Amino acid sequence: RQPLSSCVAGERLCSTEEATAGSGTYTRHGFIFSSLAGCLERKNEDNELPVVSVVRDSESQLLPNVGAVVTCKVCSINSRFAKVHILYVGSTPLKSTFRGTIRKEDIRATEKDKVEVYKSFRPSDIVLAKVISLGDVQSNYLLSTAENELGVVVARSEAGVQMVPISWCEMQCPRTHTKEFRKVARVQPQFLQT
Amino acid sequence: GLLVTKCGLLRHRPGGGGAYWVDSQQKRYVPVKGDHVIGIVTAKAGDVFRLDVGGSEPASLSYLAFEGATKRNRPNVQVGDLIYGQFVVANKDMEPEMVCIDSSGRSSGMGIIGQDGFLFKVSLGLIRKLLAPKCEIIQELSQLYPFELVLGMNGRIWVKAKTVQQTLIIVNILEACEYMTAEQRKQALAKLSGN
Repeated sequence: RQPLSSCVAGERLCSTEEATAGSGTYTRHGFIFSSLAGCLERKNEDNELPVVSVVRDSESQLLPNVGAVVTCKVCSINSRFAKVHILYVGSTPLKSTFRGTIRKEDIRATEKDKVEVYKSFRPSDIVLAKVISLGDVQSNYLLSTAENELGVVVARSEAGVQMVPISWCEMQCPRTHTKEFRKVARVQPQFLQT
Repeated sequence: GLLVTKCGLLRHRPGGGGAYWVDSQQKRYVPVKGDHVIGIVTAKAGDVFRLDVGGSEPASLSYLAFEGATKRNRPNVQVGDLIYGQFVVANKDMEPEMVCIDSSGRSSGMGIIGQDGFLFKVSLGLIRKLLAPKCEIIQELSQLYPFELVLGMNGRIWVKAKTVQQTLIIVNILEACEYMTAEQRKQALAKLSGN
């Protein structure tokens, strides 16, 4: 590696004939530009061209990719969709939360027309979902829970107590024994901690 | 066990499994599914009207939720109109939704309330008293003047009589019924029908 030097976003680093673009950079018109303000890193490979990347805070920001399973918290619901805050990507926590949307038709795989958002999620539920689209500049990540392993993992009842799942669509409060509807995730037994 | 969350008179109905409820002089309305309410149209947003029902959020009413409404035949609703409808969705997490048709598609008295008349607000307890079957207040008032009356569970009452003066008299009596005893009410009505 060469000694670190700093660069700003938009700075032209070198041409694509001298190096390949790594993380934090993009290529335009045959040149590599930086997309972040941070430290320039150049890794020399033996057989191929060196890889040029720009790094901030010596930790690369983990962005959810399409197909990644994320853990999110529901912040508001609507009759058409649920808005969530994405907290974890896989098992790594995010420093700043991203916003996601789960549309009504992406909540379940079967019987999509009969889904009611109020019977699947409630505000402050913790939900496992999969990213299906990164969205545009203005829209949020688009998420889906249309699998058995995806859905609500932690939910509080109206009495404020954490509920126990009893089927794929119902959870029960251990104190008041009232049942509430949720789209429950079937978590693999090895991930459950008792 | 059951805990009381509001102050007022505790009532009990022993029949059919029993029920306890608390009668209180509450004026603030919380939308409940199935309640019939009077809403004021505040905005038209695309396919949906926004109604003020006195709750924490405005309710939404689709233009197709009227009897005989189709995509071509839209109901003639303007901002400021009064609508009598019922809630189909009303919970603490979502915006309430109203319709002006019942489950079979008939209007059954719901829809746009006509021109003129007078809309005023009373406590929710008085509305429940007026909606009880064979309510004395309504019977006594109907012997005074003929009038049209719409009661909304959100504490709103709409009255229309033949003249403005008669309308205002009925409004004043209904507002005073909150605090008058039956005797005082009969005396007031006797004085009015004497005049």
